[in-house]
Amino acid sequence: MRSRNIAQTLPLIAPVHILILSVIVIPSLFVIWLSITKSTYGQAPTFVGLENYFQVLSDPAFRSALWNTVVIVVFAVHIELAVGLLMALLFASGLPFRRFLLVAVLAPYAVSEVIAVVMWRYLFDPDAGPVTLALKGLGLPILDWAYEPSHAMILIGLLTIWLHLPFTFIILYAARLAIPADLYEAARIDGATPLQAFRRVTLPLLGPAIVVALLFRYIFAFRIFSEVWLLTGGGPARSTEVVAVYLYQEAFSYNAFGTAAATAWIMVVASLLLAAGYVLLLRRQVTANAQ
Amino acid sequence: MTDRITLDITRRGFLGTALGGAAALAAGPSWAAAKTLNILSHKVHETVLGTGDGDLMKEWKARNDTDLVFTTFDSNPLQDRLFREASLPSTDYGVGYIIDNRPTADIAKLFALLDDFLKSAPIENYDDIAPGLREAMTVGGKTIGIPVRHATGGLFYNEALLEEAGISAPPTTLEELIEQAKKLTFTAKDGTPVTGMIMASDLAVFPVSFARAFGGDYITKDFKLLPKPEAMEKALGVMANMFKDGALPRSYATTKNDDQVTWMQQGRAAFTMITFARYKQFNDPANSKFPGKIKAVQFPKSKSYDGEMSAVTESWGMSIPANFADKELAWSYIREVSSPRVTLGMAKNGNGPVRVSTYADAEFAAASPVAAAEAKALATARGAFPPFPEAARAQQLFLEDVQLAVLGRKTPAEAVENMVKRITPLLPA
Repeated sequence: MRSRNIAQTLPLIAPVHILILSVIVIPSLFVIWLSITKSTYGQAPTFVGLENYFQVLSDPAFRSALWNTVVIVVFAVHIELAVGLLMALLFASGLPFRRFLLVAVLAPYAVSEVIAVVMWRYLFDPDAGPVTLALKGLGLPILDWAYEPSHAMILIGLLTIWLHLPFTFIILYAARLAIPADLYEAARIDGATPLQAFRRVTLPLLGPAIVVALLFRYIFAFRIFSEVWLLTGGGPARSTEVVAVYLYQEAFSYNAFGTAAATAWIMVVASLLLAAGYVLLLRRQVTANAQ
Repeated sequence: MTDRITLDITRRGFLGTALGGAAALAAGPSWAAAKTLNILSHKVHETVLGTGDGDLMKEWKARNDTDLVFTTFDSNPLQDRLFREASLPSTDYGVGYIIDNRPTADIAKLFALLDDFLKSAPIENYDDIAPGLREAMTVGGKTIGIPVRHATGGLFYNEALLEEAGISAPPTTLEELIEQAKKLTFTAKDGTPVTGMIMASDLAVFPVSFARAFGGDYITKDFKLLPKPEAMEKALGVMANMFKDGALPRSYATTKNDDQVTWMQQGRAAFTMITFARYKQFNDPANSKFPGKIKAVQFPKSKSYDGEMSAVTESWGMSIPANFADKELAWSYIREVSSPRVTLGMAKNGNGPVRVSTYADAEFAAASPVAAAEAKALATARGAFPPFPEAARAQQLFLEDVQLAVLGRKTPAEAVENMVKRITPLLPA
């Protein structure tokens, strides 16, 4: 009976499985195979075992790129979460011209990443950018991002926060709107201050949404590429290079497919390790909800 | 009278019309050519062939009943796509444009050898194509590409800004260039802040040119790394001083080729080094604030160096992927594009001509005021580095140390020492 059911349902679920197999599983296996071979254009792949992994991990440029990525991910994602949460609470508390402001907040998500970076590059041009000139005019320090690596990292962080804030904001805002008003009323009747209501009502109920937003952003942010590639190209002198740029260079500039594939898998493992805490938290929440 | 609009179409009428229309289209005249030749190139290669009445390939297309379909990319993605296509069991791309410093022995295996074609259906006056450019398209003595464009670097200057700063002539030595660049780091009359010189930081051509001005080099044709390290040190020292004095922009480390063009067109920089072929773009009245005022000379050498100054050149060739079926058609295209007529036509459209005779053409010389300087530079020009498997990685390491030296984070001596240490293991044995 059971096998008959499976036979009947198999054609219905097969398209999804074929899709997953063809776009995720098979390419992933191919990349694993590539990562244990040495190959380039016009050269048949030769098996080298784990040599590519050792080569990548011992490359100071990779370690620097990994460090830059972790710094950007940790800082940008958490600042983005804090700002997104504040904005979600502000919007939920009632704002004049809410619809207009909502469009304004979500607008960066509608802007192509390439256009956004070109725009920011122009605005913050260290010689003639309008923002740079305005800061100079006000006697304030400028972001000397083309010269100072730390300034470049700050600009990349700001840009990535600006670009992806709408994602975090919309998840948190939707979750906040889903909290019944009765709970706040009950808290108020029980004498809770606004801060206590936030700590005891809002934050626990927003928990799952926060974890989901963080998890997605951790994974997306770890792949950061266009902001760095188009803004600094990884410079000055590779000081702002991130792992995705390193991978791109290995694959498409140096045509070293083995080390590029090894970098890709190291990237997957590193991003999972970095997000592991939140993955466990999410799992615990899902398990708790199921019971 | 009624203002109702009715749509009285019956099912039979609709089906009949649709079938009749489809039959008419099938039986009617063909609007497209019988064949298509797909080409992988940079946009510039398509542009210089012209369009409409100025289409240099119009006759060839009619003669061969073939349409040309270009798929264009920027240089690096183009080479990647070309090699990828050529690695497949078969490809629809018949012609691919290849840069001279890419074909290693492994890469060359992906392309058809053209020597037999050169014998069976020779290119008109093939010897007229500059020998150095032809040699750059041979690997192990076998021809894999036919030169189609060279990009030889020259020194561009904004004559109006020079005049404004009281400078009557462009520099003839590197020392004069540095002095003038410093003098031209000023605020122009119209309020534009001017930087003496602008150059991209992501290409080896710039530091290599400065090194050659002192008789040095990066990697020679026989794979000698930094044959005169002291010349590279001097070059880096000069560039670092220019940066310190503001004669190179603060954004030097993130400057790209396109920035050079924009800055020169807007009068934000007085000098730049870029290929002579950019002359038209710099002086285009639609985009430049200084049409006709941006001129070019050969990049000058230091007065301390007695030898010959070699400009840096990069050339493009047309190749046929070995896995393309209709090689005859592809070769026919290459022959036509390489002909003296099309070479001259492309040169008038801004292409760096690969034929020596093109420079002797009076009409071309009149249309391109930089033709004489370009021809002179081309006579002794050579590539920034030869092709070898790790060339791109070596260039990246080289540029990393160049940037650190220019920004003042390393001394030129430290940078040169590090270059030797890191690049030597990448060179062919």
